[in-house]
Amino acid sequence: MISARSKPRLRITVAAAVLIAVVAACREAPVEPCPAARLAVDRVPLAASSSPFDPAFAAAGAEFHVPPAVLQGIGWVETRWQMVEGAEEFSGRPPAFGVMALRGVALERGAALAGVTVAAARRDPVANIRAAAALLDAYAAEAAIDRSRSEHWSVVVARYSGIELPEGRAAYGREVDRALALGGARTAPAGTRAPAPGACPPPPGSGGAPDYAPAVWRASPNFNQRPADSTGAMHIVIIHTCESNYTSCWSWLVNLASQASAHYVVNEDGSEASQLVLERDRAWHIAALYDCTLNRRHDCWLNGVQSNHFTVGVEHAGFASQDSFPASQMEASAALVCDVTRDRGIPRDWQHIVAHGQLQPADRTDPGPHWPWIAYVHRVQALCGEVVVDDSAAFNDPALAAAAAPGAWTASDSTPDYYGGGYRWAPTQPDATDGAAFSFRLSAAGSRTLDVRWTSGTNRSSRAAYATITAAGDTLAVARQDQTTGGGRWHTLGTWTFPAGWNRVVLLQRDVSGAVVVADALRVRE
Amino acid sequence: MPWRAPYLCLALLVLGACQRDAPRQRVRISSSGASAGAPLLVPPGSQDTGFVGTTSAVHRPRPGLPPRILRAVDARASPGYDRITFEFTGDSLPGYHVQYTSGPVRRCGSGDPVAAAGAGRLLVRLEPAQAHDERGNATLAERDRTLGLPAVKELKLVCDLEGQVEWVLGVATSGPYRVSELSGPARLVLDVRHGQ
Repeated sequence: MISARSKPRLRITVAAAVLIAVVAACREAPVEPCPAARLAVDRVPLAASSSPFDPAFAAAGAEFHVPPAVLQGIGWVETRWQMVEGAEEFSGRPPAFGVMALRGVALERGAALAGVTVAAARRDPVANIRAAAALLDAYAAEAAIDRSRSEHWSVVVARYSGIELPEGRAAYGREVDRALALGGARTAPAGTRAPAPGACPPPPGSGGAPDYAPAVWRASPNFNQRPADSTGAMHIVIIHTCESNYTSCWSWLVNLASQASAHYVVNEDGSEASQLVLERDRAWHIAALYDCTLNRRHDCWLNGVQSNHFTVGVEHAGFASQDSFPASQMEASAALVCDVTRDRGIPRDWQHIVAHGQLQPADRTDPGPHWPWIAYVHRVQALCGEVVVDDSAAFNDPALAAAAAPGAWTASDSTPDYYGGGYRWAPTQPDATDGAAFSFRLSAAGSRTLDVRWTSGTNRSSRAAYATITAAGDTLAVARQDQTTGGGRWHTLGTWTFPAGWNRVVLLQRDVSGAVVVADALRVRE
Repeated sequence: MPWRAPYLCLALLVLGACQRDAPRQRVRISSSGASAGAPLLVPPGSQDTGFVGTTSAVHRPRPGLPPRILRAVDARASPGYDRITFEFTGDSLPGYHVQYTSGPVRRCGSGDPVAAAGAGRLLVRLEPAQAHDERGNATLAERDRTLGLPAVKELKLVCDLEGQVEWVLGVATSGPYRVSELSGPARLVLDVRHGQ
C-alpha cells in the first residue's frame, strides 16, 4: 500500500511504465503471462522494449558512469521517449525539454556539466541525454552512492524527479528500483543487476485493493461515512472522466487538498485501475442532490439526497470531449463495474450505471457524448453472466437479444422504473393470438435462469402468462405473474436447459378482458 | 501532522528555501492594498475607479482546450474596487463563468455546503482549468482565504475537479463587477466595486 500522504510525482508514471514493460517483456517470453495482465483482455503493449535513443542512452551512460537503464527509464517516464520542446506548461514549472524533460536550472547545470550549450541541451537529443546523464552523474557523486548497485540509483533518480517530500521520494524510490530491474533486463548494462531469467516482477503497488483485487489500492483521505439509513445504501454507479490523464487523476484525488475523490480510477488503456476509497465509504465525486427527473424518474424517493450517499464513483482517465474511448479501457471498466454491481446488488442497467453529467447537468458533461453507453452496459452484463432482452431494439445487442411486439402492443414510459427506455402494454383479450416475444440466442446449449420485469399498477393483470419456448419450438412452461405489484424489479420465471439458437419467452395477451399486461424486459442469466 | 508537509513545503518554496530544482509555485494572495514590493499586475493607468460594471452573469466559454493551470491568485484593494487576479501558466485563459448566486454553494466533490462571509456570493467558474499539476500537487497553497477587503470578504476554492475550478467570493454586497483579460502571463481580472 502506498501512503496517501506521499506526494507522488513520477511515481505512477514509473508505475505505468513498469507495468507496460512487464506486459511487453512477458509477451516476448514463451512463458506464462504476467499476473499483471489481468484487467483487460485486448491490451496491446504501448512501448517497444527498446527506444530509438538507445545508442544515445548507452553512450551517455558509459561517458558519465550512469546505467543506461536509468536513462531509459527516466526518458520513458518523462516523455515516452519523445523529444519535447518547451511543451506544456502544466505544472507551473519551467518548461521541459528533450527526451529527458530537463527543466530550468537543472537543464542549465546539466548542459554545463556535459559541455553543451543550453540551446543544444534543449533541442538536440544526444546533447539532451548527455546533459541528463551528467546531471545524474553529479547527483550520484554528491550522494556518494555505490554505482554498481542498482538500488542505490533510486535516490539519485528521485532527486532528478524534483519530488520535495521525503516520504514521496521514498515511495518513488521503491518504484525506481523496479524500473531499474526491468531496465537491467533489457539492456544488461555492466554493473547493474538483472532479474532472474523468466521472472515477472510484480507491478508497482500491485493488486490487492480491498474491494476489487485487480486494482491498486491508493488510499485517499477524502471520504466520510455513508448515512446509516436507506439513503446510504449503494444504489447507483456513476461514470466520470477525469479531464486529465490517469496519473494526474488519482494522484490529485489522494491529495487532501483536492477535497475530492472517487472509489475507483481506470487508466487509459485499462491496464491498471486504482481504488482510492472503500466502497462502503462515501467518496466525494458528485456535488448534485439527486433529482429523479434526470434519471427517467427512477428512485424518486431519493430526491434531494446528496448523491455521494448512495453512489459508487468510477473515474476514467480521459476527457468528456474525446471522440471515442479505447476498447481496452471499456473492458477494464466493465469488469470493475460488474464486480461492484454484483457485490452490492446494484442492477445493471442505464438507470443504475449513469453519467456524472446526467445527474449534474448544470455544470458537468462527463463522460461526454461518446461514451458507448449501450455497448458498455451490455458488456457489464455479459461479464456478470447475463443478457437482457428489452422491448425496444435500441437497448438490445442484436446478436444476442431481440424483441417482437405486435401492433396491439403500445409503447409507453408513463410509469417509471422500467428497463431501457420504456415498455409495451396491451389490454387482455380472450381471443388474442399475439404475444410480446423476448428472444435470446445461445451459442451452445445450457442451463439458464429467466427473470422478467414489468411496471406495476392497479390496472395490470394479476395473472400475466409467460410462455417459455425453446429454439426447437418446445414450450417448457407457462408461468403466471401478478403485475399489479412488484414493478421495476426482476421476478424469476424458472431455470431450464435450453438448446443452442434463439429461445424465447412470450408474454401472452390472451386472457379474460379488463386488465393490462406489461412487457418490459427479460433477463437471462447463467 | 504529516499531511501538512506539502503546505509547509509550498510555503518554503515561496521563500525560496525549498530544493533548487523544485517548481516555483507562486502564492500571491495578499490582503493588503499596496504592499511594498508586491508586483503590480496592471499598470496603474489602467485602473478605473468609476467603472459601471454589471451584476449579471458574465459567460465566456472556451471548450476544447486542454486545462489551464491556475498558479496564483492575487487579491487587493484599489481605489474604488477590490481586484482579484487569477493567473495561469502559459499564454491563454480558460473559459469562465461569473455570476452572483442566491442558492447554496457546494463543494463539487463532497457536496458539502460552503458558507462565505458577506451578504453576497459571487461564483467564479474556470473551465477547463485546474489548480494542481499533473502529479497531484496543488499549485495554490491557500485555497480558503479570509480577505477582509472593502468589497471582497472571503475567497474560497470550492471545486478543483475534472477540469473545473470554482471559487466563491463572499462579498459585502452584491454590487457591480467587471471582468477583463490580460496576457503575459494570462490573467483573468475580476474587479468588484466598493459599496453599492
